[in-house]
Amino acid sequence: MHFTLRLFNQAISLRINGYALLCSAFLFSLLLATFLFATTQGSYPLSLHDSVMSLLGQQQSVIDPQTDVIIWEFRLPRSLVAILSGALFALSGALLQNMTRNPLSDPSLVGISQGAALAVVTLTILFPNYIDDWREIAAFLGAVSITIVIQLLRGNDHPLKFILLGVGVAAFISAIISSLLTYGDLPSAMAALSWLAGSTHNSNWHDVNMLCMAFILIISLTLYQARMMSVISLGDEVAIGLGINLKAIMLIQLTISVAAAAVATAVVGPLGFIGLLAPHLARKLVRCGPVNHLFLTALVGAILVLAADIIGKNLFAPTQLAAGSVTALIGAPLFAYLLMTKKT
Amino acid sequence: MTRSKWLSWSGILIMLGLLLFAFIWHLSIGTKIIPIDELIQSFYAYNQDNFNHLIIQELRLPRALIAICVGACLAVSGALMQGVTRNPLADPGLLGMLTGAALGVVYWSTFVSSASLVWLPLVAAIGALISAIIVWSIASRVTGGITPLSLILSGSAFTAFTGALLAIHHLLDQHTFEEMRTWLVGSLLASNLATLYWCLPWIIIGLVAAIMLAPSVTALSMGEEVATGLGINIPRRKWQLLTCVVILTSVSVALAGPLGFIGLVIPHVVRFWVGADYRWIIPYCILLGAVYLLFVDTLARWLIQPHEIATGLITILIGAPLFIWLVKVRVR
Repeated sequence: MHFTLRLFNQAISLRINGYALLCSAFLFSLLLATFLFATTQGSYPLSLHDSVMSLLGQQQSVIDPQTDVIIWEFRLPRSLVAILSGALFALSGALLQNMTRNPLSDPSLVGISQGAALAVVTLTILFPNYIDDWREIAAFLGAVSITIVIQLLRGNDHPLKFILLGVGVAAFISAIISSLLTYGDLPSAMAALSWLAGSTHNSNWHDVNMLCMAFILIISLTLYQARMMSVISLGDEVAIGLGINLKAIMLIQLTISVAAAAVATAVVGPLGFIGLLAPHLARKLVRCGPVNHLFLTALVGAILVLAADIIGKNLFAPTQLAAGSVTALIGAPLFAYLLMTKKT
Repeated sequence: MTRSKWLSWSGILIMLGLLLFAFIWHLSIGTKIIPIDELIQSFYAYNQDNFNHLIIQELRLPRALIAICVGACLAVSGALMQGVTRNPLADPGLLGMLTGAALGVVYWSTFVSSASLVWLPLVAAIGALISAIIVWSIASRVTGGITPLSLILSGSAFTAFTGALLAIHHLLDQHTFEEMRTWLVGSLLASNLATLYWCLPWIIIGLVAAIMLAPSVTALSMGEEVATGLGINIPRRKWQLLTCVVILTSVSVALAGPLGFIGLVIPHVVRFWVGADYRWIIPYCILLGAVYLLFVDTLARWLIQPHEIATGLITILIGAPLFIWLVKVRVR
């Protein structure tokens, strides 16, 4: 089931897998359903009818007057933040895995999330006045510098060393973060701590706007890079033989990947394992070209984080678990499973 | 006595001297610096009304003793693991045993009883053993078998999982978390002698067993074929060594919480001096581990007075760069 789309005198041509398209539609409706479910869940339960009507802007047919405030001020931004950050983490992981040709790469395993976390925690503890305006930029700079450090350390060695070095750097950075947390004053330390757990708890519309812009930028950049991705995955020699400027492309893709992880981390905190899980699940669903695969990956990532958020909200209600804890609980065993079944 | 043997014995003496020095340094330095003559006086002429004597005997001495025990235990268990797995990156912390033991202790003190110290080492041991088995069996199923990479990866997955469990527990039960917070990053702050008494028999058993098993660790570190050729029953010996490692690790967790990277740093430094013979590596590890932790703990108390840094953070800050260097140099 394939058909090919050619546009602009073949300047753009896409080979579309029908089954993958079907899968995307299914995942999209699943995401929508999860989203609607998320808007009804919480300490103040709403009926599905009310929340849908409020979302559609039909205030006159809403029965409960509280609905509008709850939906538009709390649940909608929260769900949108979960969806967008999930998609960003997933895209970052997909790029990273493709680039290192290593199915175990994940922004949180290779030190990118930790770099962002270090920068944000430093900002929160030492310069609490600047946190609102500079959080995203600090996260990006932190992530980039840690990636550069790891790349410099790695040199020309085996791609797997990237991961081992990441583990070492991550341990080092977590120790610094913990020391910062111990010596910051209590309110800012608590703020940093709840951010570190990876929670969507305090989301607002500013975060949504930020993530939305980043997502649009990054998904268009990745789709533009998608053709190169499939070539790169064939191996360095083949890619060079096919006439690709490997170093430049690698640099671009690494930057995109780091940027995606950094922006998402800046808003929700270091969410583990999404970048690892989503590309794998997407590949399990359907094997297809990079464009479809990226779409599916983003959708799966969005569903995963949203579901983790719902689970965290309801499992031990009224105590809310951070989405990050839930993703780690699900992600770590799956990582072990992937480790065991991976063929070298 | 050959020249190298003579060197090794004199090295032991030097280390003992160093240990004594670090011990005295640890006791005298702190928020209040106590002169050495008064320090020594507190041992043979203890005066209850003298405030300095009280500080030494009630606060610093337990802490120093625990630092010595924990440092020795972690260093030896790291050395044994590196020898048996022939893996330069093996360390109880990296393989998830420390967090496993910590999780065991946290669950035990929440759900069963927080008062009883008797079972604490045993609970930690069970936690460490279970996590060792889980990490090991994941790593052995990876294509290519047990390699430094597969062990570290499965260890880090396991650590992430237990970390999430701990975080959830912390949210649900604020009270225990407050009690356990300093302990969970690895600290000697809350050390008391009662726990040490319950752990001491285990420490002695573990260390003596390690010294007795040392010759076969040397054989195992040369490869399984060599060890079989030398007449060692490998599966049995490995189980004995694992038990030994678990005992040593869990005792140190029960005493001081998870202190990372000591088991990685010390054996490598020791091996740099005394070569690959575990009959010498183990005793040197005991002494150097003790000296190292005393030194780090003194730093932790002294660097930013009147506060103190958690000891576990300093051991990571020193150990992680060494880990990175090892990855760079020693892993193919």
